[in-house]
Amino acid sequence: MFRFFACALCAVFLLIPSSPAAAVANSLVRIEETSQEPNYKAPWSTGEVTGGVGAGFIIAGNRIMTNAHVVSNARFLTISKEGDPKPYPARVLFVAHDCDLALLTVDNPNFFKNTTALDFGGIPIIESLVSVYGYPIGGDRLSVTRGVVSRIDFQPYSHSGVDSHLTIQIDAAINPGNSGGPVLQDGKVIGVAFQGYSGDVAQNVGYMIPTPVIRRFLKDVEDGHYDRYVDLTLSYHPLHNPAMRQSLGLTEGNSGVFVGSVYGGGVADGIILPGDVLLKIDGLPIASDGTVSIEGDPVEMAEVVERKFKGDKVNFEILRDRKPLSASIALTHSWPFTLQANAYNEKPRFVVFGGLVFQPVDANFIAEHNPDDLRLRYLFNQFITQNIYRERAEIVVLSSILADPINAYAPDFRYDVVDKINGQKIDRIDDVAAAFKKEADSYVIEMLGQGRPIVLERKEVEEARKRILSRYGVLTEENLQK
Amino acid sequence: MKSLTAALLLLPLAIQAGTTPPPREKAPLSVSNDSLVRVNSTGQAFDFFRPWSKKAPFMRRGLGVVLPDNQILVTAEVVANHTYIELEKSASAEKSPAEVVVLDYACNLAVLKPLDPAFLKNAKPLLLDRGAQVGDKAAILQLESNGLIAETPATITTITVAGYPLDHLSLLTFRVSAPLQSREGSFTVPAVRNGNLLGLLMRYDARSQTADLIPAPVIAHFLADAKQAVYSGFPRAGIAFTATRDPQFRRYIGLTEDGGVYLTEVRPDSPAEKSGLRKGDIILAVAGKPVDQDGNYDNAEFGEISFSHLTNTLAKVGDTVEFTIQRDGKRQVIPVTLGAMDKQGLVSEPHIFDTQPRYVILGGLVFQELSRPYLQEWGSGWAKDAPQRLVYLDAFQNELPTDRGKIIFLSQVLPSPNTLGYENLDHLVVTKVNGVEIKSLEDIAKAAASPKDGFHRIEFEQDPGFIALDAAEVETGEGQLRQDYGIPALENLGGR
Repeated sequence: MFRFFACALCAVFLLIPSSPAAAVANSLVRIEETSQEPNYKAPWSTGEVTGGVGAGFIIAGNRIMTNAHVVSNARFLTISKEGDPKPYPARVLFVAHDCDLALLTVDNPNFFKNTTALDFGGIPIIESLVSVYGYPIGGDRLSVTRGVVSRIDFQPYSHSGVDSHLTIQIDAAINPGNSGGPVLQDGKVIGVAFQGYSGDVAQNVGYMIPTPVIRRFLKDVEDGHYDRYVDLTLSYHPLHNPAMRQSLGLTEGNSGVFVGSVYGGGVADGIILPGDVLLKIDGLPIASDGTVSIEGDPVEMAEVVERKFKGDKVNFEILRDRKPLSASIALTHSWPFTLQANAYNEKPRFVVFGGLVFQPVDANFIAEHNPDDLRLRYLFNQFITQNIYRERAEIVVLSSILADPINAYAPDFRYDVVDKINGQKIDRIDDVAAAFKKEADSYVIEMLGQGRPIVLERKEVEEARKRILSRYGVLTEENLQK
Repeated sequence: MKSLTAALLLLPLAIQAGTTPPPREKAPLSVSNDSLVRVNSTGQAFDFFRPWSKKAPFMRRGLGVVLPDNQILVTAEVVANHTYIELEKSASAEKSPAEVVVLDYACNLAVLKPLDPAFLKNAKPLLLDRGAQVGDKAAILQLESNGLIAETPATITTITVAGYPLDHLSLLTFRVSAPLQSREGSFTVPAVRNGNLLGLLMRYDARSQTADLIPAPVIAHFLADAKQAVYSGFPRAGIAFTATRDPQFRRYIGLTEDGGVYLTEVRPDSPAEKSGLRKGDIILAVAGKPVDQDGNYDNAEFGEISFSHLTNTLAKVGDTVEFTIQRDGKRQVIPVTLGAMDKQGLVSEPHIFDTQPRYVILGGLVFQELSRPYLQEWGSGWAKDAPQRLVYLDAFQNELPTDRGKIIFLSQVLPSPNTLGYENLDHLVVTKVNGVEIKSLEDIAKAAASPKDGFHRIEFEQDPGFIALDAAEVETGEGQLRQDYGIPALENLGGR
């Protein structure tokens, strides 16, 4: 069961004048992954073992760079070189799911003999030619495709589903198996091929991760740990309307953006307030469309924050109630946002009690269960925008019912959100586990929006326990660790 | 237009192609042709996305049932948003305009009257069926596109209390099994038994070939009410309940008797609340009839059927029904005086027909009231496609604070110099305008009269939090805005 990882580039071998594939062959590797996918419908099960193929390339320090999605949920990795028949077992050094990059190494010292570490270049100019190397679908050997730089832009990174970073679009076909392969120009890596559109959506649209994102990743892991991107945890809006500008005490001109929301618990909470006008970021004037000028180019204000690391500060000059203020924010990663991101290398968390399965809802859960329940979909999708995270840290649901006489009337409550158990508010899945461990004659489970609770009597649950576990092959009754 | 031409072309061809048919006796209809009248209703729905205008007209046809006293019974659906109603005798094609005498969307029934008093002179009014049982045979009468009446045999499979489509109201329903063909423009489809009216078709599922009928007892209630000086409609108690079959749950609520259902909701300001029923009460009997674990009682005519038949179909508005309940382990009797539904009191109305949607436009910002018909403008997948915050507020409106009032939202922005930079804002729930809390469209109109420091400040529940408009420019730009977008009036606060 092999799966090729998606990436695209077009190959026009006859037209390649420089950086011949032969030279790159010393740096390019083929990565074969054996992964185990978690099963959110039977969270106690070990999950399906599957596999895939991706590309990677050797960089300085006996390291191999590839995409995070090539090595996600990996249980066993092997790497093979061009012209060397032997597959070498490899291990992951760092993985960054928010920017889809990973670093691997091979412990066998012979592996790096006669290989060439590739260097990184800068941002290529629009319309310049680039070459993409990898192991895409259609054959087993190294493949080269070639195209031009079409566009440089902020784009969503589909691996996590919630992050957007600088991305370079190229018109080379990116196909499954290109993922993690280098994109070269003048012998230097200017990007890592990572995602594209399927042919029925768009033609010749492939994306690579550009070097500013790669360099940030390499710098982040210098301390031996990947800290992830930092967020401002606020939303801002353009300030084009003259009446809006006047009412905020702004003069004419084109400066400033307007803060709509500041997310509770985030780094800006209490420092920046909704209704503030952001005038400057780190001394750079913010235009009314939210861009700043870096080296003469207008870029999204977010790019300033993108380049920073956990613990760094960002300074704002703001206008609040018509008075100028300065604000400094120490940056870090904020929790509510991870709920909606695809998670990898995580085990499903759950509690089984009386045949009722309770799980916290996250993007992985939603992807597998795809519940129709209107309330659940709302709570998940609007978790941040409607401040639902302020009421509960996790949305815990009754995800399935292992049918047994003691829970014969519970199916009406499937996908309902657990509000309280025996009067105790349920803030996260750990609270469910704790509530059922407390001595009680019966457990009264209250669900959001339901006029009656589910009642489980301890005596009945005890009697049914072994019966349910063996009948449904439940290996363990709870897992609270990611 | 196209399909019309096609039909005209096909007709002569079909006649030419046919060989001479053998003369044959026509099977008689279950009821006389003189008991049925074709109803052609031209209607025009309002456009909730452009509340100042109507959509293209449409035509609906149905088979009206002639009743005594020169009246014709149809479904409310066939005359919803009507602009002109015409009656046509199925035998002679003689026509007369008609008007609506009384109409109730909750039970989906309406009574029409021909403007020509002599129009129904020779008609044979139908009487309402009595004593229908599960297993009885009936006939369903449909109008063919060529005007003939098609008859389909049907069998009553279930008699139950079920939800009616429009008003969250549960009333008696006959479910019949019938191999019906879908016929275009058939909006009132009567069912007859033994020459009497059994009911009107409410909905039909082509896959399972089952149809739900608005049965004779519901029609009888409607007609009796229609004779009153003021139509009061179907009563309701304003409660929701759940079955108590789960033995662990029965022990938890201390229910030792055999039957009983658990009250999960008593709606604010409902007759039940005013009478003192509370969430958590256990209903043991209604009007002296014991209620079982599923909420059914033994009806002499139909057998086991939900006790809400007693409160919703059999009782009238103003009647008092005794609820025997268990509360804190004690049995007690609470008389509940039933009332009609207060549609105006709802946060989001379930249907709006025959009246123009309400709106206020301020400097190109269009404000509307949340209602189910607004959301339904997204089409059949509206629950997933419409803005999720609004869908949520509509679906779970019972959980909102009782003094929430209407949900007023910015539905769209008509770009104008005043709204520069606001073009992409839509579906934002308004909390305040110029410092005044907004609980109705009237509040917006009122608050707009007093801008602060020359600006209108409009605050939203969601991003971007608030926006400002120049009050003076809003006023001077009104004429231009109306002209640019062809809007006859910048507000409609009527219809209540």
